[in-house]
Amino acid sequence: MLPFTIHLQDGLPVSDQMIHAIRKAMMTRQMTPGDEFPSVRVLSQELRISPTTAHKVVAVLKDAGYLTSRPGIGMVVTAPERPSREQRLECLRPLCRQLAREAQEMDLALEDVVEAIKRGFKEAALT
Amino acid sequence: MKSIIEIQNLVKKFRHTTAVDGLNLKVPEGGVVAFLGPNGAGKTTTIKCVLNMVRPDGGEIRVFDKDSRDLGPEEFRQIGYVSENQEMPLWMTVRQFFDYCRRMYPQWDVAFEAKLAKEFDLPPDTKLKALSRGMRMKAALLSSLAYKPRLVILDEPFSGLDPLVRDEFIRGLLELTEEEGWSVFISSHDIEEVERLADRVVIINRGQLQLDEAFETLQSRFRSIELSLPEEIRLRTALPPSWLNVEVAGRIVRFTDSAYSSETLEAAIKNSFPQALQSSVQPMSLREIFIALARTYRLNNSSK
Repeated sequence: MLPFTIHLQDGLPVSDQMIHAIRKAMMTRQMTPGDEFPSVRVLSQELRISPTTAHKVVAVLKDAGYLTSRPGIGMVVTAPERPSREQRLECLRPLCRQLAREAQEMDLALEDVVEAIKRGFKEAALT
Repeated sequence: MKSIIEIQNLVKKFRHTTAVDGLNLKVPEGGVVAFLGPNGAGKTTTIKCVLNMVRPDGGEIRVFDKDSRDLGPEEFRQIGYVSENQEMPLWMTVRQFFDYCRRMYPQWDVAFEAKLAKEFDLPPDTKLKALSRGMRMKAALLSSLAYKPRLVILDEPFSGLDPLVRDEFIRGLLELTEEEGWSVFISSHDIEEVERLADRVVIINRGQLQLDEAFETLQSRFRSIELSLPEEIRLRTALPPSWLNVEVAGRIVRFTDSAYSSETLEAAIKNSFPQALQSSVQPMSLREIFIALARTYRLNNSSK
């Protein structure tokens, strides 16, 4: 089992999906700095992805500051600097675009959607 | 990049049918190559030629930079091969079978054998003929992985396996991940099985190469596009050639863009369908890409 939540979707690059999942796992504290990170072999086996892709994912995560290699242990999770507000908003962009598209298709006004988002925030705070 | 298999103009005929018809293909070392095509496309024949089990009628194949017709024990110790119709000594028990294989490979890794046997849940004292198809395929895979070959060739390994066994099979295969320069060449007529596994996708049809591309670039250049129009239209003939399988249903136009770029798509749509109201652009799974391509090949073939 992998120590973070991920559901791979077909059609999207695995590495993008992984990076997104790991960022999220760090934000939701599923993973915290110092945790051991699965090896390339485990990643590849658990996700049934090619070893090359698993290697690439690890390299990208290292570059982005989420992983460091510790001799004798392997990879451990590290906290990159807290991403800027802009970067965090950037993560939401695809979701926003999709939301906007669906709202337009259903002929909903921006104000209606903003109301709905506010309601969503309240509900999220309760659960 | 170095090639582990290099096929040049391979031809193989069986009586009246040409199974492989001038195939050219280079399999780079390292990584997983999916060798796809419909049933009867020539996949198995190609693999048998690569392994010197069938003599080609024309062309040349090099494996580990050696002519495939000169492959000997030394090369075969570096190749793991499992096929759909694997011949196995069915009178042997699982344990006897592994004992028998072990002797042929000086580099056989006993600890690795034990690990895989445990993962695969293989009963050591059962005869191979008494095993289910899935169990037998797992035994075949184990006997081809335990000596840690540089090249693993799998011919339709998943056909007839239930999903659980298939999953175990893939996990077992990926046990070898940490071996350096390890290459896998895996044929299948069912795309979904190899979607995430493949670094490179090769498609053949009627014994000829149709596509040979890194999965990543394939995924980035294909998109499924849907346009909404204000009224029903009739298709103009001159659309960009990279738009495949263009279809119209009522006020909707659907097609596969095989040269997608976010910068140019909008202009291309404006040019062909200036009246388009809305467009949706969706990434495609390997299965969807394969179907889009297969339809295009069929159209091209029937118009010849």
